[in-house]
Amino acid sequence: MTLYHFVGLGVVLFAIGAAGFFIRNNAVVLLLCIEIMLNAVNLIFASFARFLYGTEGQIFIFIIMTIAAAEAAVGLGIIIALYRSHKTLDMSLIKDLKG
Amino acid sequence: MISEYLWLLLAFPALGVLVNGLAGNRFREKTVAVIAASSIGLSLAVALGFFCEMTAAAPDARIVATTLYNWLADGALQIRIGLLLDPLSMVMVLVVLGIGFLIHIYSASYMKGDDGYRRFFVYLNLFIFFMLLLVLADNLVLTFVGWEGVGLCSYLLIGFWHQKKPACDAGRKAFIVNRIGDYGFILGILLIIVVFQTVDYRELATIVKGSHGATPGIIALMALLLFMGAMGKSAQFPLHVWLPDAMEGPTPVSALIHAATMVNAGVYLMCRVSPLLAQSPEVLLVIAAVGLITAVYAAFSALGQTDVKRVLAYSTVSQIGYMFVAVGSGMYAAGIFHLVTHGIFKGLLFLGAGAVIHALNGEQEISRMGGLFREIPATAVAFIAGLLALAGVFPLAGFFSKDAILWGSFEHFGTNFWLVAFAGALLTALYCGKLFGVFFGRKRYEGHLHRPSMLMVAPLAILAAAALTAGLLGFPMFTKDTFFARFLGFPITAITADAGALHNLEIIMTVLQGAVILVILTAAVYMFTKMRDRMAALGDAFPKTAALLAGGFGLDRINDVLFVVPVKILARFNARIIDSRIIDGAVNGMGHLTMFAGRLLAGLQTGQLRHYAFSVIAGTFLILGTALYFAGLF
Repeated sequence: MTLYHFVGLGVVLFAIGAAGFFIRNNAVVLLLCIEIMLNAVNLIFASFARFLYGTEGQIFIFIIMTIAAAEAAVGLGIIIALYRSHKTLDMSLIKDLKG
Repeated sequence: MISEYLWLLLAFPALGVLVNGLAGNRFREKTVAVIAASSIGLSLAVALGFFCEMTAAAPDARIVATTLYNWLADGALQIRIGLLLDPLSMVMVLVVLGIGFLIHIYSASYMKGDDGYRRFFVYLNLFIFFMLLLVLADNLVLTFVGWEGVGLCSYLLIGFWHQKKPACDAGRKAFIVNRIGDYGFILGILLIIVVFQTVDYRELATIVKGSHGATPGIIALMALLLFMGAMGKSAQFPLHVWLPDAMEGPTPVSALIHAATMVNAGVYLMCRVSPLLAQSPEVLLVIAAVGLITAVYAAFSALGQTDVKRVLAYSTVSQIGYMFVAVGSGMYAAGIFHLVTHGIFKGLLFLGAGAVIHALNGEQEISRMGGLFREIPATAVAFIAGLLALAGVFPLAGFFSKDAILWGSFEHFGTNFWLVAFAGALLTALYCGKLFGVFFGRKRYEGHLHRPSMLMVAPLAILAAAALTAGLLGFPMFTKDTFFARFLGFPITAITADAGALHNLEIIMTVLQGAVILVILTAAVYMFTKMRDRMAALGDAFPKTAALLAGGFGLDRINDVLFVVPVKILARFNARIIDSRIIDGAVNGMGHLTMFAGRLLAGLQTGQLRHYAFSVIAGTFLILGTALYFAGLF
């Protein structure tokens, strides 16, 4: 098991999250995809920390996890508000920002 | 003399402006008039005090100067707000305040009941303030401030009855024509600043007398540019066109501004810069020539006028022409002497004309005036005294001052020049005779006559007395060393070798001129009173000549074609093409461009969350890729 395996897994996970974000329509799923991307980054941080014998990466993981928790709370709140105002969670149908 | 109190002269009129201008709407008409007139009266009292001190002082100690404020200082160039009271400005101050005071009193009655009563007196006081500033200033720039100030007041007062379109037009015309002259004046001041680094009159006088390094051409250019300013303000041909139209203003204004004071500012300026003029004989010749042309031309035009005020206006133009002839002959004292006497009798004539117009309920046409002597005898006597003085009948003021000028022109420029000047004097006698018709002959008006009030007659009487006696200043006669000249203290030109022969010639010429003028005047009076209807028929028989004279030889029309119409075409071109197409086009074009670009870019805003997310990711990769590329990693 080398660093490449871990980083490779992280990149794949990130790609899956990003792709999911682009192609799925449901707002809840989009939130999940964001979580996947965040955790992919966490994984990469952890790998580097382990293989380079540093602690900064591990500290970053805690910060990111905190932010992820906060983001999930805010995100779910937004989703509920969105559902109340638009009666749907299909993001392809919500385009209030269209110029 | 106490130079610290010089500012008092300016302070009283300024105070009058402030009090009447700020709080006058609470006062009754009478209070307003008393405040305005007493502010001038107080100034006059101060001026008379200064005058007594000045005459008591030794001739070379008669200059009082004070600096109130250091206005602009730039290296060698110092422009101060400084006042200078020397005999020349003393004379001007006395003329301005003396005649101004009488006209204030007269106006108190003349303007009674006018809606703009307070406004009138505020403008009038403001005018006196600026006029005093003009004559008391000790440098060209401060004089220019006063110069523009009186121009502004002139504009405001010509257009005083702004409900009437002709009055507004006349005001604008006066302002614009004066701009042309002032353009030259400013250029002259700038040239003097550039070459001599000073604008102070006394410094200037010492500089031009010494070795100054400026070529004669430059000096001549300075003098000519300053004279251009004088031509505008003093209504000299061809910049005189504004003055006849300025008669749209109230008559006291015509008397004060457009006869006695402001229009003489050009003559005053020329005397002020006389050391400069003395360096340039060619310019003196130009000044004399312009003055002579104006004098004769305006006398002809005066003959053709049918409006009593316009006759007087052209007459003013003509008489100022004579003053410039005097200046051009180097006889500054004679010029100022004529300025004083002319101020007196022309102020008198205008005030008298105002009384006549007032009596006839605003009638200004001479053809509807006649036989007024029996109705308003006091006014008539005063008016006739003014006419005799204007025509130059012995022993009234005009005789002495005009004689001095005619002799000066003969001595300086020779017979031909004198002949033309004398012809102008005869024309003066002719149009004076024409105005006699107002008082004699049969009655030509209808309706009820308003007799002038005491307040109007009293100034007339005082001015008439002055017109009778002001000639005494010109004694002793037949010398250049008169009381007046000695007081003014201009350098007197050396008398040539054959002085004795010339002296006899001068006496003979004076007597002959006086006699011829008297004969012409008598004939004219006879023609325009006893044979008046036949004279009118003469005018009808030659309508083209009459129209030519009445229109001032069509100069207005020439100006129209040469300047007004092209400027109007240019203005229309600017309005329709330059302004609406090019300038508006540029401004609106910027707006259109922004909106067009906005519409293009708005297409990027799809509202789809995934597109925004994609651009975030793509942007990140782009930046990261570029950074790595330049870091040489691939």
